[in-house]
Amino acid sequence: MAIAQASTSSVVGKSVKRIDVQEKVTGAAQYTDDIAFGNALHHCRVKRSPHPHALIKKINYDKALLIPGVKLVVTGEDFPEYVGLYLQDRNIFARDRVRFVGEGVAAVVASTEEIAEKALDAIDVEYELLQPVLDPEFGASKEAPIIHPDLEKYEHPNFIFPVNGTNMANHFKIRKGDTEAAWPQCAAIVEHTFRIPQVQHVPIEPHVAIAKAEENGQVTLWASTQSPFAQRALLAKSLHIPESDFRVIAPLIGGGFGCKAGVTMEAIPVAAALKLKGVPIKLLLTREEEFYTNFVRQGLVIKLKVGCDKDGNLLAMENTMYWDGGAYTEYGVNVTRAGGYSSTGPYDIPNMRTDSICVYTNHPVGGAYRGFGMAELHTGVGQIMDMLADKIGMDRTEFHLRNCVRGGDVLATGMVIHEVGLPECIDKVARALKLGEKEAPSAPNKLRGKGIALAWKAPAMPPNAGSSALVKMNADGTVNVSVGGQELGQGTFTAMAQIAAESLGVPYEAVKVLGPIDTRYSPYEWQTVASRLTWSMGNAVRNAALDAKKKILDIVAEAWNEKPEDLDIKDGYVISYKTEESIEIKDFVVYGLPKADDQGWLGGPIVGAGSFMPTYVTGLDAETGQGERAVVHYTTGAQGLDIEIDKDTGRITVLYAASAFDVGKAINPDMVRQQMEGGFVQGLSSAMFEECQLVGGEMRNPSFVDYRIATAIDVPEKIDTFIVETAQDDGPFGARGIGEHPLVPVIAALANAIYDATGVRITNPPFSAEKIYMALLEAGVVN
Amino acid sequence: MHNPHPGLPELDYVKPASLEEASRFLVEHAGEARPFLGGTDCIVRIRDGAWTAKYMVDVKGLEGMKDLSFDPQKGLTIGAAVPMNKVAADPAVQQHYPGLVEACHWVASYQLRSRATIVGNICNASPAGDTIGASILYGGVLRVFGPQGFREVPLDGFFKGPGKTTLQPGDIAASISFPLSHPQHACRYLKLGRNKLGDLAIVGVTVMAVPARTPSGYHFGIVLASVAPVPLRAAAAEAILESKEIDEAVIAEAAQAAMDGCKPINDTRGGAAYRKQMVRNLTRNGLMDVWTKVRK
Repeated sequence: MAIAQASTSSVVGKSVKRIDVQEKVTGAAQYTDDIAFGNALHHCRVKRSPHPHALIKKINYDKALLIPGVKLVVTGEDFPEYVGLYLQDRNIFARDRVRFVGEGVAAVVASTEEIAEKALDAIDVEYELLQPVLDPEFGASKEAPIIHPDLEKYEHPNFIFPVNGTNMANHFKIRKGDTEAAWPQCAAIVEHTFRIPQVQHVPIEPHVAIAKAEENGQVTLWASTQSPFAQRALLAKSLHIPESDFRVIAPLIGGGFGCKAGVTMEAIPVAAALKLKGVPIKLLLTREEEFYTNFVRQGLVIKLKVGCDKDGNLLAMENTMYWDGGAYTEYGVNVTRAGGYSSTGPYDIPNMRTDSICVYTNHPVGGAYRGFGMAELHTGVGQIMDMLADKIGMDRTEFHLRNCVRGGDVLATGMVIHEVGLPECIDKVARALKLGEKEAPSAPNKLRGKGIALAWKAPAMPPNAGSSALVKMNADGTVNVSVGGQELGQGTFTAMAQIAAESLGVPYEAVKVLGPIDTRYSPYEWQTVASRLTWSMGNAVRNAALDAKKKILDIVAEAWNEKPEDLDIKDGYVISYKTEESIEIKDFVVYGLPKADDQGWLGGPIVGAGSFMPTYVTGLDAETGQGERAVVHYTTGAQGLDIEIDKDTGRITVLYAASAFDVGKAINPDMVRQQMEGGFVQGLSSAMFEECQLVGGEMRNPSFVDYRIATAIDVPEKIDTFIVETAQDDGPFGARGIGEHPLVPVIAALANAIYDATGVRITNPPFSAEKIYMALLEAGVVN
Repeated sequence: MHNPHPGLPELDYVKPASLEEASRFLVEHAGEARPFLGGTDCIVRIRDGAWTAKYMVDVKGLEGMKDLSFDPQKGLTIGAAVPMNKVAADPAVQQHYPGLVEACHWVASYQLRSRATIVGNICNASPAGDTIGASILYGGVLRVFGPQGFREVPLDGFFKGPGKTTLQPGDIAASISFPLSHPQHACRYLKLGRNKLGDLAIVGVTVMAVPARTPSGYHFGIVLASVAPVPLRAAAAEAILESKEIDEAVIAEAAQAAMDGCKPINDTRGGAAYRKQMVRNLTRNGLMDVWTKVRK
């Protein structure tokens, strides 16, 4: 018999309409490139290195300055300071040497983009070529030329471990248990090396930034960015601007996926603006520049060895990762740290030895990319677990279930993990896929198979990355919530409105969270990265809303001569549980309440403030990687695919995909599902198509002609998504992040499905039709 | 270092009032002027620096360029500026030249095909041109206006290399005509790109079967895309298919001959070895398909 439930007005957990849907679908939403600056606007173009590794002997730009319309040329001489998020290894322009093809050596500012571009040809740069490092394993060796001779001088936080005198910008280690002692006890051991190429984020909106410096010292940057506050902090330091004078305005953004985090090309117009006061200067990257001059996802060579006992219990793993960090690793070093502390994947392994090595190469610069190292790591771990299950002769799903992390497990870093719903995720995906059930292909020339892979990821960030929020009450009962986190398509403004509405006790429709983020007016947020906003900014918004609520209730309590504990706010009314009195909040949240008999007033404009910063993340030992709490928490999940492969062409058709992730609490279930679908599709794209084809340091396919991404027709018609909710103790309403995670397991899951379909293990993405066909041909599956 | 340029270089847009004027301008500016139709190749190639034209000569509006006509006795004429979407949507083309419709559907995207033209696709002379194979197999003849007036140029021998044709400065392809197709013919275009749609061909195979008085009872036509400097006619395979009674084994033999007769290159889109294999497999599949259809 059904039990009647008390009706609640809860908006958390409801798939309310996105707050920004109208402006986006009608095209009214304003992006950075849409902002008009009038005739004063000048344009910037960048002179770039054609060489992967060379010394700069001389730069002569005299001729460029003579071109009518050219206002300014700047070079590395003008800006000696370093900039960088974690390891400060980068100048705004190359100074003594260039380290990758496409690195900026000078910039021209001119009245038009065409003139600026033309002036680049009038800049002569004399180079002395050096041997490039084009492979991370070679780069880590003693034979490799040193790319950053000044490594030892670079500033970095205490959790980054550069190896001075080498190309190793970070060497993260885990030594847990005794792997050497464990190997003899293993009934099955698998060893394999996997290679994952660089890929690019491919935001549909390329990077764009406009900067203007005023005579009074004020500097403004308008940018398509995930990180207005980090950009303010890093550029202010590098260019000696007080943070209070430096304003970053961040309109809506057309895709970031990590490449618009930290500071990259934005530094160039800001630097130029400081030399040309009063003039707004714009730099808009071409698609080609987007591909090879800004961040890419690092390449990875991952060498894995893993063993289990006769019952399939994992006993030990050795994981050696050589990350192709590219020419600068200011951001990338922390990708390799994340790869290190999560290097088991979501498995419980008692004996662990990890070396996660970030290597400088003369390749494009590695940076944050949705998943932050996890997709690359899981490409290896997710495959080798299937290989080991096969070797020990155990059902693959059973093997994953037996070994996956569970609440209370001691992780490789020594951290005890909170409750996670990973077994439930595996179960849901396995059932949806009918995993283990061999199904017939649709035609005789097709092979059909299924694969599953698990994923985990923790927010990767400094231990003390903070958030803040303001809740401002209006006289009509509406509420403005100010945040510093960026709406980059993920729906964070909507989720924040839901959290604020729920916490404050007002209808969702009454709450507005709007951009642009403006460092002058918006409260601080570290960066919009790491799948951390719902959790971290959500906590700040909740705290701000609770602060406003407390202020509201205090006023009413005084007016009604009641205790605040007996009062609550529901649907925009303060109600008393004791007296059943009520008052609409709009009547007093700005103008206050009159005291009786016209004897003065109570209250005043209500502004709630809240912040959040995790205070409980501890350091890890440099030699063993052991510590109390490496990360705040992990989001875990599983994903699987049912595929067909055409034996005539090698082409994959994905028939069906299923994802299940434990998000703690889905603030907005539809948006959680959209993240699961979108992450899967982006992951599938990287699994099937994407690769920066680097030859001699030069990218051969920097355009959509030859860098293919998945389109609607490449995606399965049906994708099922399952939301698992094991509440997170430090998250708002129990929520944790989901933005990156669905991308993480795709490559491994697809590789496992290909193996299931063909009996041929093809380990290194992208799994192009050609790669599959030629492997099948070699294996004799086709002839 | 690949092109990081933000836009087109400076160039003049010229819109002549007549074919004579256009031709004269193109002669006078030989080497620095290009006729353009939909612009879907021109704009891209000029931005890439592959072409260094100073003048783009818009010939879209000239007489007859936008006409599409079908005559049940004579066949089909497609003006040079008729966009592919219009061709593909035409009922007469759909009925009599289904292979051309299929080929159009494989070009880039719907949006692009609202500008892209078949004559432009042919004159651009990419070995990967999707509509070229069908145009050849349907017996397409270009009507070219040059300094000496109009002349007819069959596609056989027209292609000289990637981007190279027998057209001379001052020549403007005004239309393409196709004779009436055989009512029992079958034609397919099988294209393999990296994505399922919207990509350039790694390999493309156009096959046609027409009932004929040959030992096999059919004429077969096979044109291969992206495996040679020009669209490649698989003559040895065609010969096998006309000389023997058709069965699966003969089709396999012909497909093998098509594979053996091409020498593709390695490029960013695909390797030579894979391309050869795909020529065989797609030719075989295409032939099976058209044979099954014409046999009915």
